[in-house]
Amino acid sequence: MAPRVTILLFATARLAAGASELRWPVEPGGLPLGSLVRSLGSRYPKLAPILPTCRFVLNGRYVVSRATRVRPGDKFAVHPPYGGG
Amino acid sequence: MTVSVHLTRRPLSVAAAMRVLSGPGLGGVVVFAGRVRPDRTPAGRVTKLEYEGDLALARSVLADLERTAQRRFGAVRIVLWHRFGTIKVGEVSVLVGAACGHRSAAFDAARYLIEELKRSVPIWKTERARPARRPRRPPYRRRGRASG
Repeated sequence: MAPRVTILLFATARLAAGASELRWPVEPGGLPLGSLVRSLGSRYPKLAPILPTCRFVLNGRYVVSRATRVRPGDKFAVHPPYGGG
Repeated sequence: MTVSVHLTRRPLSVAAAMRVLSGPGLGGVVVFAGRVRPDRTPAGRVTKLEYEGDLALARSVLADLERTAQRRFGAVRIVLWHRFGTIKVGEVSVLVGAACGHRSAAFDAARYLIEELKRSVPIWKTERARPARRPRRPPYRRRGRASG
C-alpha cells in the first residue's frame, strides 16, 4: 500500500470536498505543504477558493511555512476561518 | 464541574460557572453567556446551530488563553466552556467567565477571552433553518350573484 497522509477537513472545507477525512497518497519522502495544498485544490475545485482563507495544522500544530514537509503517516488538518461563540 | 476549560455536548450552566468562579478575595466576577439567535437567513429562520471543532487543538488553544488571561489581567479563576453538536435557539452555546479582585480587571479579562475564543479557537458553526412558508394566496372569491 502506498504511503499516505491523513487529511482532516472541517466546516466549509468538508462540505466543499464532500468528505471529512481523506487518505492522500504521497511519495515516501513526503512533499512540501504548498504542493499538498495545490493538489487538494486541483482535485477538489470547490475547495480551491476556500484554501487561501484556511489555516493549516500538521500533527496538532499550526504551520505557516509552505515549505514545511508533510510526510507519510502525518495528520494534516484544513481549518477554514473560525466561528465559535 | 470544576475545570476551567471544557468542551461538551451537554447544556452549560451559569450557576455551575459561578461556583467555579467563587473564592476568597474574588470581588469582581464577570460571566458572558452566548445564546443561539433565531436569525433570519436566505434559507429561512434559524432553528438550531450545529457546532463542530478540532477538539484536541481547541482544548490546547483554550488552555493557552486561560494562562494568558491569568498573566495579563491577574484573573484568578477562569471559565472557558463551549458546547458542540446540535444547539437549539435560546440555548447557551458558550460561557466565558473571569473572577478577579476587582470589576475592571474581570470585565477586561472576560472581554479578552470571548473575543480571542471567537478569533483563535478551532470551532465552527453551521446554521440550520426552517424555510419560510410561502405566502398564501388570498382565498378564492366566488362572484356573488348580481342583485336586483
